[in-house]
Amino acid sequence: MIKKAIKKIVSLIVILMILSFFVFALLYIAPGDPAEKRLTSQGVAVTKEVLDAERERLGLLKPFLVRYGEWLVRVIRGDFGVSFKDDMPVAPKLWAGLRNTTILAMTSLILSLLISFPLAVLSAIKKNGIADNIIRLFSFIGNSIPNFLISVLLMYFLCIKMKLFPVIASENLQGLFMPVVSLSIPMTGRFIRQMRTEFLIQLKEDYVVGMWGRGVKGRYIVLNILRNSIGHISTVIALQIGTLMGGSVVIETIFRWPGIGKLVMDSITARDYPVIMGFVIVMGTIYVVINQVSDILGHLMDPRTNI
Amino acid sequence: MAECLLDIKKLCTSYDESMVLKEIDLSVYKGEVLCIVGESGSGKSTLIKAICEDKSVRVNEGSVMFKGSHCGHKLLGSSIGLVQQNPEGAFNPLRSFDVQFAETLKSHKREPDKEKLAAIFSTLGLKDTDKLLKMRPYELSGGMNQRMAIAASLLLNPELLLCDEITSALDVSTAIAVVDELLRLRREFGVTIVFVTHNLGIAANIADRVAIMYQGKIVEIGDAKDVLTNPKHEYTKGLLRDVPRLKAM
Amino acid sequence: MKQRTLREKKLKKRIIVVSLLALLIILMTTFAGVIAPNDPYTTSASSIRMAPGAQYPFGTDNLGRCVFSRVLYGGRTTIAATFLLVFISFSIGTVIGMLCGYYGGILDQLLMRLADIMLAFPQMVVAIAVAGILNAGMSGAMVALGITMWVSFARLSRSHTFSIKKEAYIQAAFFAGKSDFYIIMVHVFPNLLAPVLTNALTQIGTTMIGLSGLSFLGLGVVPPKAEWGSMISEAKAYIQIAPWAVLFPALATIITIIVFNYLGDVVMDYMEV
Repeated sequence: MIKKAIKKIVSLIVILMILSFFVFALLYIAPGDPAEKRLTSQGVAVTKEVLDAERERLGLLKPFLVRYGEWLVRVIRGDFGVSFKDDMPVAPKLWAGLRNTTILAMTSLILSLLISFPLAVLSAIKKNGIADNIIRLFSFIGNSIPNFLISVLLMYFLCIKMKLFPVIASENLQGLFMPVVSLSIPMTGRFIRQMRTEFLIQLKEDYVVGMWGRGVKGRYIVLNILRNSIGHISTVIALQIGTLMGGSVVIETIFRWPGIGKLVMDSITARDYPVIMGFVIVMGTIYVVINQVSDILGHLMDPRTNI
Repeated sequence: MAECLLDIKKLCTSYDESMVLKEIDLSVYKGEVLCIVGESGSGKSTLIKAICEDKSVRVNEGSVMFKGSHCGHKLLGSSIGLVQQNPEGAFNPLRSFDVQFAETLKSHKREPDKEKLAAIFSTLGLKDTDKLLKMRPYELSGGMNQRMAIAASLLLNPELLLCDEITSALDVSTAIAVVDELLRLRREFGVTIVFVTHNLGIAANIADRVAIMYQGKIVEIGDAKDVLTNPKHEYTKGLLRDVPRLKAM
Repeated sequence: MKQRTLREKKLKKRIIVVSLLALLIILMTTFAGVIAPNDPYTTSASSIRMAPGAQYPFGTDNLGRCVFSRVLYGGRTTIAATFLLVFISFSIGTVIGMLCGYYGGILDQLLMRLADIMLAFPQMVVAIAVAGILNAGMSGAMVALGITMWVSFARLSRSHTFSIKKEAYIQAAFFAGKSDFYIIMVHVFPNLLAPVLTNALTQIGTTMIGLSGLSFLGLGVVPPKAEWGSMISEAKAYIQIAPWAVLFPALATIITIIVFNYLGDVVMDYMEV
C-alpha cells in the first residue's frame, strides 16, 4: 500500500513537471520573442534599444533551462509573474477567477449528477423499455450539442423570446442559472450514457445471477450494482471535469461570468501570456490531482484494479 | 416411496428459438440425491433454469410443480436452494460475506441464526467462522467460495438443493471434498439434492438415482447402481465405455 | 441465434440510412459552389438582416450576406477541417501504435508514457491555450486539438497489434523471411483497420464540437471566412433582430453532429454484435 502511494505521488510529480515544462515552452512556440510580445501587448513601439533593455530586464539572455528553473521555483511559490497588460501580479487575478469558476463548475457538476444518476439507474434497470428509450434519446441529443450552442439557443428562447432571465449573468442565483444549465445539459447527457453502460456491465456480472438464485430482493441487487460502480463512475466524473473546464471558458465568455475562463479569453485577446500560462498551470494541476485521487478511490473501491 | 417434492411433467422449453428440452418427465423424492448426467448441450442446465423460472428460458409446454403447487422464482432461497457452476459468481466479489449473508436473510424476512450458521460451517469444514465472514470473496479460492455459496443457500433451510455443475470449476481434490461435505449435509439436515454434472464418477459416488440426459431428453432414469452397471440405453452404454475406470466398480 | 441475425440486419439497415444522410451532408457542402444561390462573401448594404425569403432562403446577416450560402460554405470548412484532423490523428496514431505494438521495447515504453501524460492533461484547456497563443487560425486550432487526439488511435492500434502479433500466421510469415514492413502492411494493418476506423468515426462528432467551439471563441477561422462556430459567434450580437442568422447555422451544426455521432454509435453496436 505504501509502495503504491509513493508510486502515485512520483507519477503525479512527473506529470506536473512535464505540464509546467510544456506551459513554459508555450511562450516560445508563439511567433516573436517574449520581450517583443510584452512590448507590443503594452503598445510600446519596438525599437532595438528598447527590445534589448527589455530582454535584459526579463532575464531572457540566460540559458533556456535556467530560466525554466527560475520560473518553476516562482510558480511553486504561487508567483505567476506580472501581467503584460497592466503590470499587476497574475496570481490574485487567477485566484479570483478560479473562485467564480469553481462556483459555476461545481453547481453544474452537482446538478448534472443529481439528474443523471437516477435516470441512468432507471434506464439500465428498464433496459429497452419506454423510459430507457426516451432517456437514451435525450442523453444522445444532449451529448451531441456543443455547449456554446445550448447557451446561444437558451439565450434566444428564454431571455429574448420569453424574457425570463437577463442576458448578462450577474453574480447571484438568477445569473447563475443560464450558465449552469448550458454546462449541465451536455454533461448530463454524457454522464447518463457512461453510467448506463457501467450499470449494464455490472448487471451482467455473475454475482447478480448468484444473488437472484438465493432469492435476494431486487433492491439489494441494485445496491450491490451501485456499490460496485462507484469506482468507475468516479473515473468518469474526474475525466468530465476536463471537459467542464473547457466548457466553462466558452460559457463564461458568453455570459460574461467573471471566472478564470473569461480571464483567459480576455488575456488571449490582449496577448497577455503570463495569465494564459498561469491558467494552464492552475487548471492542469487541478485536473491531474483530481484524476489521481479518483484513481486511488477506484482502487480502494475495487482493490483488484491496479493503480 | 417417499413424498414427491418436485414433479416435472411433459416440460418443453426453447432458448433463442431453438428447442432445448423435449417432454421432460421427472420426479424428485424427499431425501434423495438425484444426479442428472449429460454432456454439455444436453439441456441439463436449461432444466435447472426452467425449474427456477429463469427469464432466458421459455417454457412452451408442461409444468413444474413443487409440493403440489406451481414452482417458481419466489421459492428460490427459501424452499429451493440453488448453487451454480462458477464459484466466484455467487457473491459480489467486493463486499464481505457477512453483509451478503445478511442481505439474503433479510430478503426472506429471516433473523440471523448463528448456531445454524456455525453448524453448516463446521459440516462444510470451514473454520474461523468470524474471520471468514469478514473476508471478501475475491480474497478466497474457488473451493472456499463454492463452500460459502453452499452455506449461503442452506442458511434458509431449503428442502431442495439444486447444484448446477458445482464441482466442474474446481480441481479434483477440492471437488471430492465438496462432494463429501454435501453428503454430510444431507445426513445432518435432511436436504434433498438434485446434482447436475457431466462427471459420471461423481454421480456414481453420491447418487441414489441417476437420470441420463441426451439431446434435451431424459433417455434413462433409475437406481444409480442399475443405470451405471446395467444400462439400457445405447447412449448410456457409450458413456460408460468412455469411462474405463468405472467398469471396475 | 435468429435474434442475433435479426438485430444485425436492423443495424445494417440503420447504418446504410445514416451513412446516406452523412453522405448527403458531405456532398451538399462539397458542392456548395453549385448549390449556393448567392456568393457567401458578397456584402450588400441594401439587403442587411433580411428575413428568410425567395432570394435568401435563410435570410441575410449583418453585412447583407446570404446565410444559406454561408451555411453551405461554412459546413465545408467545418467538415473538411474535422475530417482532415481525424485523418491526420488516425494516421499518426496508428503508425505509432503499430510500431510500439510490433517492436515493443524502449520506444514503446517511451511513447506510451508520453501518451499517458497527454491524457493526463485537460484537452480543451490545453487546446484553448495553444490555439490562443499560436494565433494561427484554423490550422492552429487543429494543431491544438491534434496534440492529444492521436493518443486514442495509438493505444487502440497498439493493443490490437499486440494480439495480432501472437497469431500463428504472423509467426509463419516471419519464418518465411518476410520483412517487418511487409508483415505490418499485409498482416497487421488490415486486421486492426476495422476497430481503429470505428474509433475514428466516433471521434468525428467530438472533433466537430471541439473545432466549432474554438472557432466560436475566435480561435479558429479568421473572418470573413465562413464557419459555423464563428458565424454563430458573430450573429449572436444581433440575435434579437435577425435570429435566423444564428438559428440556421446552429441547426446545421446540431444536425451534422447528431448524424455523425449516431453513425458512430450504430457502427459501434454493429461491431459488438
